[in-house]
Amino acid sequence: MIESLILQVADEWRAQSAVFDEIFFVFLALGTLVGTIVVSYTLYNAYKYRDDGSDPDEKFDPPVLGELPTGQGGPKAKKLFLSFGLSAIVVISLVVYAYGLLLYVEEGPATDVEEDIEITVEGYQFGWEFQYPDEGVTTQNTLRVPQDKVVQLRVTSRDVWHNFGVSELRIKSDAIPGEYSETWFSGQAHLEEPLEPGETETYTAECFELCGSGHSYMKADVIIMHEEDYQDWYDEQLADAEGEDTEGDG
Amino acid sequence: MSELPPTTSLRRWLVTTNHKDVGIMYTITALFFLIFGGVMALLIRLQLWEPGAQILSGLAYNEAVTAHGLVMVFWFLSPLGFGLANYFVPLQIGADDLAFPRLNAVSYWLYVLSGVMFAISFFQGGTLSAGWTMYAPLNVPMYTPSIGSTGAILALAMFVASTTASTVNFLTSIHHSRAEGMGLMDMPMFTWSMLATVWMMLFAFAALLSVAVILLSDRVFGSLYFSATEGGSLLWGHLFWFFGHPEVYIVFFPALGVMLELFQTFSGRRLVGRKWAIIAICLISVQSFLVWMHHMFLTTINLEIKTLMMATTIGISLPFDLLVFALIYTLIKGRIQFTTPFLFALGALLLFILGGITGVFLGAIVLDYEFRGTYWVVAHFHYVMFGGATALFGGIYYWFPKVTGKMYDEFLGKVHFVVFFIGFNAVYFSMFLGWETPRRVFEYDPAFQTFHQIGTIGAFVLGGSFFIMFYNLAKSYLYGEEAGANPWDYTRTAEWAIPSPPPLENWDGRPSYASGKLEFVQDAVADGGHADGHGESHLDEYPYWDKHPSHASIWPFAFSVATLIFMIGLSGVRDSVSLSLGETLATTALSMSNPVYPVFAAVGPILMVWTAVRWGTEDFYAPPTAIAERWPFHGIEKVKLGMWFFLASDVIVFGAFISAAVFIRVNAGWMNWGPITEPLPGLINTFVLLTSSFTVILALVFARRENAKGLLASLGATILLSFTFLGIKAWEWHHEVYDKGVTLTQNPHGDPIQASIYYVTTGLHGFHVVIGVLIAGYLFVRAARGYYREDQRPLEYFGLYWHFVDIVWIFLFPLFYLF
Repeated sequence: MIESLILQVADEWRAQSAVFDEIFFVFLALGTLVGTIVVSYTLYNAYKYRDDGSDPDEKFDPPVLGELPTGQGGPKAKKLFLSFGLSAIVVISLVVYAYGLLLYVEEGPATDVEEDIEITVEGYQFGWEFQYPDEGVTTQNTLRVPQDKVVQLRVTSRDVWHNFGVSELRIKSDAIPGEYSETWFSGQAHLEEPLEPGETETYTAECFELCGSGHSYMKADVIIMHEEDYQDWYDEQLADAEGEDTEGDG
Repeated sequence: MSELPPTTSLRRWLVTTNHKDVGIMYTITALFFLIFGGVMALLIRLQLWEPGAQILSGLAYNEAVTAHGLVMVFWFLSPLGFGLANYFVPLQIGADDLAFPRLNAVSYWLYVLSGVMFAISFFQGGTLSAGWTMYAPLNVPMYTPSIGSTGAILALAMFVASTTASTVNFLTSIHHSRAEGMGLMDMPMFTWSMLATVWMMLFAFAALLSVAVILLSDRVFGSLYFSATEGGSLLWGHLFWFFGHPEVYIVFFPALGVMLELFQTFSGRRLVGRKWAIIAICLISVQSFLVWMHHMFLTTINLEIKTLMMATTIGISLPFDLLVFALIYTLIKGRIQFTTPFLFALGALLLFILGGITGVFLGAIVLDYEFRGTYWVVAHFHYVMFGGATALFGGIYYWFPKVTGKMYDEFLGKVHFVVFFIGFNAVYFSMFLGWETPRRVFEYDPAFQTFHQIGTIGAFVLGGSFFIMFYNLAKSYLYGEEAGANPWDYTRTAEWAIPSPPPLENWDGRPSYASGKLEFVQDAVADGGHADGHGESHLDEYPYWDKHPSHASIWPFAFSVATLIFMIGLSGVRDSVSLSLGETLATTALSMSNPVYPVFAAVGPILMVWTAVRWGTEDFYAPPTAIAERWPFHGIEKVKLGMWFFLASDVIVFGAFISAAVFIRVNAGWMNWGPITEPLPGLINTFVLLTSSFTVILALVFARRENAKGLLASLGATILLSFTFLGIKAWEWHHEVYDKGVTLTQNPHGDPIQASIYYVTTGLHGFHVVIGVLIAGYLFVRAARGYYREDQRPLEYFGLYWHFVDIVWIFLFPLFYLF
């Protein structure tokens, strides 16, 4: 099952949310299975070997007060190593599997980087500023992006440590003063149906690191737009920014 | 030395140094802090009843979150384990007391007074609001300006001083005072867990101490470490989590030890794979220092290091798997008695299994990217840390009959367990269900409201369950049935072989396992000689070997009060004193707006020195264990062993300071910085210090030859050389400040953070020199009065400390003067 999941995704774009959902499902399924088995086994044995007041059988050899401690060996020790080995195999194979997908998440989809949009996200007490590729184009607490591009985010902070995360998109990145951390998302890969002109899809970005009294309210909208709408909006922003520049120069 | 008053007298509890008294005080105080932290938790839960509720303001909510985390982790979990350990580790290893009884008392008093200090911080303009992880730069005064924030961190530093003292004490006791015939592998599992705990604490808490001291230097003196954009935030992350991850096991291991004991006692079976369980415990202790960056997967650490940390993180779950299976298989074919202690131990195991499985999720980096900062993390670590603590409550019920001599009420105990277990899962499992909620946020997505409401109800059930325990224990203490020495069927360890409650000096005769089982040997005469090769006697060297052991001293309490006064003073100094730097020292002015804090800050250290001297000169006798197992520190005397442990932790303190200097410099670009000092004064100081090391050795040699003049001359030379060192240092700082304009916060020739690092790191070393001078002065006066002719050990131990301070300088000199 695991192999087939990896093969399926080999040359296809996948949103981080899809990758997350897949790994989460696998871990949850196996975790529940293992947890149920171990807990039931423990409870079953605790009940089965309860002290029911009957006389202990002859082979029962309890420890006595003042003895130097020794362990139990024999068949139980073998069983111990067997279950240890099994759990090691489960855990290690889970991690190897998850590691393959980590590489994908780290690299991002193999697109032409020139085509991607790079946006700097700067956290501050208490809001988010988004800096677009052209100088002077910034927005506060609203990130607009076209659906057809991969968006590369460079996340930093102006004051204290924040964390920029959008739960629905399953992206998250620390915003640390003096550092730039990176993450990416793509509207196209995330949306099930492409947007028509005039349609938008809005997600909420939140701060995931305690940053002060306004931490609970430190939210932003992430709006995915049709590429034409985006272009119109962006041109407007660009004109405004240039207008401000000339004013400043004058 | 004064006599120990009876338990009914209040004075008894202020002066006692007996490990059993201290253990009781630790346990009760820890339970008090459980209520303190619990009230904070309930405030949080009330605020979460509906999204955006405003029972507390945003800032007050953050204070509650911070205080809850700090109080539970530091003032409740660890001390509860240490309460049990204080009482039972000496009994389990067959010792009369811990190695240093007065040090043990000072650990307790520093602990409880640091808690008082923390409580005071609420009234100093609000306590810290930066979360228990205190991420930088939110933790510096620019963002958390209240005096109480500084007070909270000072309280933490004071707590760390307390744990350092008890760490040294436990390590020395376990490695020095085990009964004859009890090798390391023969120790009971609770003692084993505590040994692993204190080994981890020795290094982890040293890292916390250094990070707290650096932070305090930022907060009190205004240095720039954690506000530096040259990696200041990441520096905090690395240093804090280097402590923080081992800390998880530090709070879990005492509980694990209780589980390991209780599973054996109440199933009548010996532990399966005992040797491997011990190996697993040791492996975890070492590996715990190699996983810390998994708390920082979303920072800018590169993929290779992240992958390595993922591997070590997953790797550390494997020894835990083995321990869990060992516990489960121990039950098989036993005769399991479902008493209250066993229910709590079994419950702890089940909760820990769930905590462990959800922890594997967090180890997978892709999942961690999403879980970071959410309730998944909150739920996971509560299942691990509080789930573990569940076993400690089992430990309280298990040992209650031993401590009080009375049996607890079994029915109420079981009711407590059922209510506790239901409440626990209602609070924390609901967090898994609503995991997408960000941590420490009260304005959350209404979709999760049901889960949070279940959690809030569960929290009140959970909190209420403890009152059943308090009632049960109080009632049983007053009216309970006599428990007898050994109320359980299948106990093994030595504490059950003596009356309940145990007598002050524990044993009638000397406990020994030389024959393979516990016997009480009546040594004919305490003549100190013993020729069977097992133990080694130090009695011959002791001039006071026939004295009666002391159990009472007021100085640990007095010293701790003095420390509290100093800490309160320090917390407000920055707000009440302002320094205006003039052109020269003469025109530099100090103005004071509020005299209270500065007066406290000045009086505190004087009282600390005075109480320390009284402590040193007090006639207090803690007998060395004459016949004991000491592997692997066979030939080392008790105090010297303690000194070595202390120095090992100090190595980590300086190591963290030096790492911080290197880390920031690498982030700023190594080659961009040159030394801001001239090499010559540093070089002279190097020679001065090395010479003073030599004079200390001379002092010891003269003392051994009983040459009083030589002893005084060489001690005097050491003091003079130290003053020379400090004098040159003072000249150098003066030169830097007034001739070159380099102050703690300003550096005209480069990055300001470089100046901060220079002053703080060499300042810490200078502080060590000052302490050395104080000790040397004390020794000098005592030597002049005729001490140290017969017993030169204090000189030798001072020498160890002094050589260490010199060695540190050998590292600092090139770092700050040459490159």
